[in-house]
Amino acid sequence: MPEKIKILYIDDELNNLVGFKASFRLDYNVLVAVNTSEAVEILTKHPDIRIVFCDQRMPDKTGVEFFEEIRSWFPHPIRILITGYTDVEAVIDAINRGHIFRYVKKPWTDSDIISAIEEAHKFYMANSLLSIKNEELQKAYNELDKFAYSVSHDIRGPLSGVMGAIKVVRHLDDIGEIKEMLSLMENSVKKLDTFILSMHDYYTVQRGELRIKEIDLDQVVNDLKDIHQGNITANKVQFSANVNQQEPFWCDDITLKIILNNLLSNAIKYQRQDNNDKQIELNIGVEKGVATIYVRDNGIGIPENYLSEIFSLFFRASTQDAGSGFGLYNVKDALLKLNGGIKVSSVLGEGAVFKVTIPNK
Amino acid sequence: MNNKPRKVNFIIVDDSELDCFIAEKLIKHSGIRNSTKSFLQASDALNYIQNSSDLEEDTFNMILLDILMPMMSGIEFVEAFEALPAEIQEKYIIVAFTSSMNKKEMNRMRSFNSVKHLFNKPLSPEVLQPLLQDYNLIS
Repeated sequence: MPEKIKILYIDDELNNLVGFKASFRLDYNVLVAVNTSEAVEILTKHPDIRIVFCDQRMPDKTGVEFFEEIRSWFPHPIRILITGYTDVEAVIDAINRGHIFRYVKKPWTDSDIISAIEEAHKFYMANSLLSIKNEELQKAYNELDKFAYSVSHDIRGPLSGVMGAIKVVRHLDDIGEIKEMLSLMENSVKKLDTFILSMHDYYTVQRGELRIKEIDLDQVVNDLKDIHQGNITANKVQFSANVNQQEPFWCDDITLKIILNNLLSNAIKYQRQDNNDKQIELNIGVEKGVATIYVRDNGIGIPENYLSEIFSLFFRASTQDAGSGFGLYNVKDALLKLNGGIKVSSVLGEGAVFKVTIPNK
Repeated sequence: MNNKPRKVNFIIVDDSELDCFIAEKLIKHSGIRNSTKSFLQASDALNYIQNSSDLEEDTFNMILLDILMPMMSGIEFVEAFEALPAEIQEKYIIVAFTSSMNKKEMNRMRSFNSVKHLFNKPLSPEVLQPLLQDYNLIS
């Protein structure tokens, strides 16, 4: 059964309050106040009140005045006035100015009140849904802005490089220079490719539905090795992986792979080129309902002042290699979806450790 | 009037290795006496400029600067550059390049006194030759 709708009723006549509460407390969560200052207290204490009824004629101020006053302090509850025929001018004015949603005339019947509550509640729900949607929309707009900015740089950048290179190559005669140019062009094209692949990951994480299934972590590690073996060998990196699984692990495997792929490919990318003993260690343990993953490398590390920013979209803390500024953002976003977390510690020039925790589903 | 062309020292600041390389090659084939120095990180370029007090006599010093770079951006570079002593600043002119179409960023770049030109990437002979002519570096 859904939770009862919380309602506040304000009237200076105690009998009315008692009658109201007696009639509706079974179906609704009814709070009552005998004057407006008490009402404000209750509204402050109960931000989840959805509908407020108020009598028009009260000693300190009218219901319309009260609603006009609280409208900006408590914009969410729907305001309904209870009044006799004599106040009809004030009521029309209040409705037109948007201070109240509707009015119930005195003396009221149960069905008047119930229909007012149902209508008001529909309106309340539509409004709150709208504000959630608005928030989501705002977030999407912000990301779109970042996107437009980044697309112009990260896609046009490598492309304009290649275009420039083509023009220059036409004037070159030296085969060595031409070859050097070609290999730089290849890097630019790779960079573009990485960017497009990460964009696909981004979309998968943002819009994809989770499909929870039992995960064979040994298999995941083997897949990971297959994907990165080329880069690991080419960069002369020692890669070791340990899986210590005490219990079955349930997770979405695509999202899990996006996390591991990005962390591992970063560990490979951001090695110190002059290091003869490049190492990457992957440790995965599942215990007591939590998977804990460590990705440890002895690469270039991350400057301390950038540690808090590395998970931001399009942030890059290094000019080394083809970073897209997508990777760790995707990791963080993926972990958000899995209710997981990530921590990083690093010593500049000595390496970095990423610790990921993911609750078992 | 001295008609002998001056030597031009280029400082190239761009996080893309390819773009640095293109600039170097274009300059090499431009027909002027030159030297080039490329920096993938703007902060390194700034250090270099700060510490090279003994510039050759009668050389022209031009900085080719990318705008969007990780860590220190082109805009941060110019801000730091304009905080250097005037006698260092006056020896250089800055030419900025961008591949982004961000108006705000481009306007910010144009607003600096030390930034004399702003071009779209990539650097090409069509951009470089008129630029060198403007400063009477080639005829």
